[in-house]
Amino acid sequence: MSDRLRIALTKGRLQDKAVNLFERMGLDCTPVRNPGRRLIHELPNFPLDAVLAKAPDVVTYVEHGVCDMGIVGKDTILEKGGAFYEVLDLGFGRCRFALAVREGSDFYGTYRTRRVASKYPHVTEAFFARKGMDVDVIRIEGSVELAPILGLADGIVDIVETGITLRENGLVPIETVADVSARLIVNTAAMKLKKDQISSFIQSCERELEAVK
Amino acid sequence: MNIRIHTPEGTRDRMFSECLERRRVQAALVELFQRRGYTEVITPEVEYYDLFVQSGNPIPQEAMLKSIDRSGQILVFRPDCTAPIARVAATKLRSLALPQRLYYDQTVFRDRNFHEGGSREIAQCGVEMIGGAGEKADLEIIAMAADALKCCGLQQSHIELGHAGLFRAMASKLEMTPEEQEQLRTAVENKNFAQLNDILEPYRDRPGWEALHRLPYLFGGKEVLEEAEALAGEIPCLQYLDKLYAELTAAGYGDQIRFDLGMVHQLDYYTGLIFRGYAQGAAGAVLSGGRYDNLLQQFGRAAEATGFAVDVDAVGACLPVEAVPLDTVVFYGPGGLAKALQVVDSSTPGSCELSPCRTLESTIRMAQEKGARRILDLSGEKERWINV
Repeated sequence: MSDRLRIALTKGRLQDKAVNLFERMGLDCTPVRNPGRRLIHELPNFPLDAVLAKAPDVVTYVEHGVCDMGIVGKDTILEKGGAFYEVLDLGFGRCRFALAVREGSDFYGTYRTRRVASKYPHVTEAFFARKGMDVDVIRIEGSVELAPILGLADGIVDIVETGITLRENGLVPIETVADVSARLIVNTAAMKLKKDQISSFIQSCERELEAVK
Repeated sequence: MNIRIHTPEGTRDRMFSECLERRRVQAALVELFQRRGYTEVITPEVEYYDLFVQSGNPIPQEAMLKSIDRSGQILVFRPDCTAPIARVAATKLRSLALPQRLYYDQTVFRDRNFHEGGSREIAQCGVEMIGGAGEKADLEIIAMAADALKCCGLQQSHIELGHAGLFRAMASKLEMTPEEQEQLRTAVENKNFAQLNDILEPYRDRPGWEALHRLPYLFGGKEVLEEAEALAGEIPCLQYLDKLYAELTAAGYGDQIRFDLGMVHQLDYYTGLIFRGYAQGAAGAVLSGGRYDNLLQQFGRAAEATGFAVDVDAVGACLPVEAVPLDTVVFYGPGGLAKALQVVDSSTPGSCELSPCRTLESTIRMAQEKGARRILDLSGEKERWINV
């Protein structure tokens, strides 16, 4: 058994923030910063290997135990679900899921079945199911803002950070569906079988997050 | 005609070493179960849907593979072995004296999302002790769970104990609404510390707050029992776990027993001790069990019960693969069958087979194609070995 831990990082913005956090913890992240063609990046001064993956794949790798830990947004966790431990709110990558509608339209003021477009159909479905509303959820892969503009949908459920994109397209967020931030997740068996290593890693992350607060 | 040559998603043909792994685990477990006085029960592959709803075991509806019979009733492919065995024990076996020790070696079916890997057919081997109450029955079951993982040949495995009463005892002090309590339970189950913080924040000044806050961290060796008691005070189920541990240690199981006090799954179903088994190389628990004293009552016979199931293929996948390569092909002439069979029968299974060819030349060709190392030629006066 390897005594190195393996962590999957969500490519892109979360990756940069995670690397910043690791470096503040004293981990040498040069291999992740200069990945070259390598796919697994071994940190030279800490028993940790990092792989970079798309957000849903981070969850998949952790769930199947090929990575012990992962850093992924709560948005992906909410949409994809799965069996793993969600041990830490890392505090970065903050944004929210919001319901947005065309400016001036009254989303709730009708008995007509509303249509909502989203890249996150499960999150959307669960949100309206909690309200006991029947809603047609349409899955859109690209720019969701287009759907209400084209008249395909009455509203959208999407990630909102600044709200600028929404405003530019004549949409306004009217309700928060869920708050989102990056999470540290852990495979359930690894947590038990590599308890000491993983616990001390979580603790040093926590200490660093505390220090920044 | 369009011939289908693939199997439905989530099902598969298993070949050779995969079968060997499964059979080896099953044989080891069955041998252990029988040795401890358990007898086999085989229940139908399909049962009425109602049985599993009645049982109170919360298998989600969408996880059950369903079919409708000619009378319009909903059938499911057995999603779990315990409910059917409880049904048998409460009905057909009701006149037999307790305790009854029963084991099963069958497949359960669970529907799952597409493209996530994993099988919809899960080979389970497990036991149910019907009518065994209290400490000694729990001890027997945990010892057997530990032995079960060991006897399969796992290099490194352990059993984690928890108690269904612990969370209730701790949470009751906070006087939460049932919804809040369920959210709290989910946060503990998923070791979601961030969510746990949020839920517990309004209860910060209540006694017992800190114990719940620490609950997901309370897994590991015996020290977690002490920490829990220091935080939560004396709780009967903690003392019970402590007592079990002392007995198990005295019996030599100490290094295989750990605790996860944050084990809070299916609390409406389990009534006492709950446990899971982990093995090096598996991505999740490979063994799961506990005490469910209310289940048989659902089928009309009041009797305590406890048991566990082993995920046979998950254990098998952790074992070293030992495929036997073909070594010898035996070629024989007229009147030589008995001698040839004797050679095959005395070899390691799989390492030696008969040649069905008429000539030695085609036997050599066949042996080459199959990658055999040598040929034993029994067709002449004297036997001779030919290297391929």
